[in-house]
Amino acid sequence: MKWMSIVVGFLLSIGVGVAAETITVKGSDTMVILAQRWAELYMLKHPDVTIQVTGGGSGTGISALINGTTDICNSSRPMKQSERDKLKQRYNTLGVEIKSARDGLAVYVNESNPVKELTLAQIKAIYTGKITNWKELGGPDAKIILYSRENNSGTYVYFKDNVLEGEDYAAATQSMPGTAAVVNAVAKDKFGIGYGGAAYGKGIRFVKVKKDVKSAGFEPTPENVKSGNYPISRYLYLYTRSRPSGALKQYIDWILSDEGQQIVSKVGYFPIR
Amino acid sequence: MRIACIAFCLFVGTFGLLAQEKAEQDSLYTELKEKLAELKGQVDGLNESYLETKTTVDALKKIKVTGYIQSQFQTAESDGIGSFAGGNFPSGVHSRFQVRRGRVKFNYDNDLTQYVLQIDVTQNGVGIKDAYATIKEPWMKTLSLTGGIFDRPFGFEISYSSSNRESPERTRLYQTLFPGERELGAKLEVTPPETSPLSFVNLKLGVLNGVLNTANENDNYKDLLGRAGVQIPLVEQGLAIDGGVSLYSGKVRSNSRALYKMDSGLKNYVIDSTSSNVGGYFDRTYVGGDAQIYYDLPVLGGLSLRGEFITGKQPGTSGSSQFYNPGGTVTPLYHRNFAGWYVNYIQNIGLQHQFVLRYDEYDPNTDVQGSDIGIAGKNLTAADLKYTTLGIGWVYHWDANVKFTLYYDLVTNETVNAFTTTTALLPFKEDLKDNVLTIRMQYKF
Repeated sequence: MKWMSIVVGFLLSIGVGVAAETITVKGSDTMVILAQRWAELYMLKHPDVTIQVTGGGSGTGISALINGTTDICNSSRPMKQSERDKLKQRYNTLGVEIKSARDGLAVYVNESNPVKELTLAQIKAIYTGKITNWKELGGPDAKIILYSRENNSGTYVYFKDNVLEGEDYAAATQSMPGTAAVVNAVAKDKFGIGYGGAAYGKGIRFVKVKKDVKSAGFEPTPENVKSGNYPISRYLYLYTRSRPSGALKQYIDWILSDEGQQIVSKVGYFPIR
Repeated sequence: MRIACIAFCLFVGTFGLLAQEKAEQDSLYTELKEKLAELKGQVDGLNESYLETKTTVDALKKIKVTGYIQSQFQTAESDGIGSFAGGNFPSGVHSRFQVRRGRVKFNYDNDLTQYVLQIDVTQNGVGIKDAYATIKEPWMKTLSLTGGIFDRPFGFEISYSSSNRESPERTRLYQTLFPGERELGAKLEVTPPETSPLSFVNLKLGVLNGVLNTANENDNYKDLLGRAGVQIPLVEQGLAIDGGVSLYSGKVRSNSRALYKMDSGLKNYVIDSTSSNVGGYFDRTYVGGDAQIYYDLPVLGGLSLRGEFITGKQPGTSGSSQFYNPGGTVTPLYHRNFAGWYVNYIQNIGLQHQFVLRYDEYDPNTDVQGSDIGIAGKNLTAADLKYTTLGIGWVYHWDANVKFTLYYDLVTNETVNAFTTTTALLPFKEDLKDNVLTIRMQYKF
């Protein structure tokens, strides 16, 4: 009995080794501001807990989760089967998926651009290189300059899977290192178009997005995203390797609480409840 | 008149000054215009340079170089034992250092096409592990074709990388049936995309030479094999259930007229010496099933239970149940019915530790028992003995690159008939002292 207690004690002591008072969060650039706000407020209320937040993209965050260099991965897209397979191989788990907020993926143009709304099919045609001139969309006779995210970004993957329906981006698409960089580029480029989190939409103009030609166009406002009228919306996820426990669980529970969800609204995203 | 002169002078002077100022402004404007053009040129140049660099970087991103080294120390229970824990120990030796695997893998991934070359560098020299090209159809991105040297598409254990595997070696069953794991041939793979309702199934079909990955083909018969698999992730429950069924249908060519077949009634081999046996083809057939269960155990960490069963007909020789590969010398062919299975339990403990328990059994000849071997008048050999191995280990992941493994193989063989007087079988009257302790360090990048 004594030996059993020692063995169980040892196993538990190394088992809960991850639940130290420092929590590392890595991943989605779309979520980085939100994650920082969560961390700041939580650390104010829990001075014994340190939370380190970095971006880098959803893909980078998921790699960090697999490599064991982060406790929480922020991701603006669901984890792929191939990524779950890697978790299975190393940790014998599928990862734990936690929906933490909802986001409308906005399509931006320069403020001077007269094009006010686009259908999903038109956006797809623009980004796959089938429509190359604003004239074809009722705008000026000028080449469309495409701005996108890098391929380690969850926003990039989500947009490709759900808007481009799996087709490849046009070769002329310029990859930017973050959503803020996309916004900045479009704000400076009269003929530019970009996409990203609605919370980043300052200094540019949102295009109203229509499901098809017959539908009405909607902007990514909280009401439109919540009602499902805005056609490009997604969940923002937190991932852990295995079921969270200790300080990690307390932090995630707090994120999902009313207090944590209020921050979601303040940052410009949409609470999950 | 004087006033007129003064006014004229003032006008001329002012005009002159204004003209001078305008000329200066024009000059400044021209200079600024030139500077702007120069800057624009520089920005355009930088942009071109950026695009050129980006093109190069994008091309380089397609090349992935990965690898790992496994260096280890082993100690066996006695000198010179035969072992499946990294190869036989040399005569008179029971401890050794080894570079068990020293892999470098080059992968050029062009999305729909892939080139892979993997070499293995150890104290025994340099060997080729993988050398294949894969193309994927661009429409549904579901079907791919691979040609070259690659993992045989059978069962689960072959495809589970040695760098990820928690136990140092594959089971005796797999090492016997599929030495080297790879083969020369072509493979068709069906992997529906994640968005497909059939994404939980996958199918692999191969046509292979049916010799070793390092040998040239020695007959005109090609072996067919494949695996149909399912993956059922139950994410909400923290559970995953995977599995598959596999089939191997091959033949080997005999270079001898002596064919030994088992008579299950007599519990002995009977010889068939028909002259047409020379150059004749004999079955090499395996049927297998595998299952893997993964579960996220609260607080402690994930666990997995992986099991596999294979049975079939194996052509071998008198001294070995490894598959028959006709060489330069005339070797009688022994045809055995075999069966083998294993079950593996892995328990993650926190982020860095893993407890490993594995039990495997390989019976090369299911028609006989140990007590049948060694009876006078029977031609059964030590190659007909069943082996079981209990492996217990601990894996410590130092960081994302380095892991240490401590693993003990407890090997038990069936014992032969107690009254045998056959010299070669005398050591098998009792369990051989062939347990092995392995201490391994792996660096992976």
